[in-house]
Amino acid sequence: MRNIRRFVRIALFVIVASWLHYVMPQQDIARITSTEIIRSDFSSFNRMFYAQADSGSVENPTRDLRLINTERKATYFFGLIRGGNETMVYRNEDTGWIYPPYFKFDSSDLQAESAASISTTEPYDWVVITHYGWRLRWASIYPNAVSVRPAPSEDFRPFPWLNMVIFALLIAGLLFLRAMWRQFRERTVDPLADKVGDQYDHVSADISERKGRVSRWLGTWRKK
Amino acid sequence: MQFVRLVLFGFLILSVLYMCISLYSRSIRREKLEDEWDENPPEGASPEKRASFILDGMTKYESGLRKKLILLVFIIPPLVVGAIIYFIN
Repeated sequence: MRNIRRFVRIALFVIVASWLHYVMPQQDIARITSTEIIRSDFSSFNRMFYAQADSGSVENPTRDLRLINTERKATYFFGLIRGGNETMVYRNEDTGWIYPPYFKFDSSDLQAESAASISTTEPYDWVVITHYGWRLRWASIYPNAVSVRPAPSEDFRPFPWLNMVIFALLIAGLLFLRAMWRQFRERTVDPLADKVGDQYDHVSADISERKGRVSRWLGTWRKK
Repeated sequence: MQFVRLVLFGFLILSVLYMCISLYSRSIRREKLEDEWDENPPEGASPEKRASFILDGMTKYESGLRKKLILLVFIIPPLVVGAIIYFIN
């Protein structure tokens, strides 16, 4: 029983953590090498990793997908360790009015901005690409670029202030929910349970008393 | 259409949140009043007087600023969404 509970807890933690890792903004230092548009036919599996058509348009099974090809600084272990250069492809989609709540409507502008900062000859222009999502080759999914801004230098390491704020708010919200739940239990559930327990005690006392009466009556028939 | 859906579901969720928070806040207030009375009950304290003291405090709470502040639940999220839209786009 305890092992099952532990397993459920760990599974829940892994799911929430990977969901947060997918949805939270991350910043990459990259150099844009080109931009392109490919037609994409989503499968029922990788459809859930893509947003919907541009927020003003209608949804069709097939549509064009804006991509930003880059060479970026590889990062490992949540960006704490930095490796060499690697290629990375970002998609550039409207998230629109729903999940994830980035409310991004300016994909075309972002595409123009990234095209404007294409840098293929030295000295390179490095940019900070804010994005969310994963690159999974076997599922053909790309991280979604949210914004592009020039980076001061190649070695610039942006600090995730926004993520800190979001995490702090999430933790505060969880603590608040917990406080609410505790108050609810203390003031509403426990008194009710006490009452029920009380009643149960009364009933069981009653029953045992009756039993006592019956057995006493039976006892009168027994030989002393 | 998406926008309508966001507004509808957002309103529903925020309403549930509002109800939960106002119940919680009321419960906290009542508990504080009870504790305040129980800590040093005045001369000639009786259960009726205690009940009326708590009722008094609760009516004060119902018309106070604190209760109205809970309405911020409906105001802050749209402001946050507006800020996100402004900064992202």
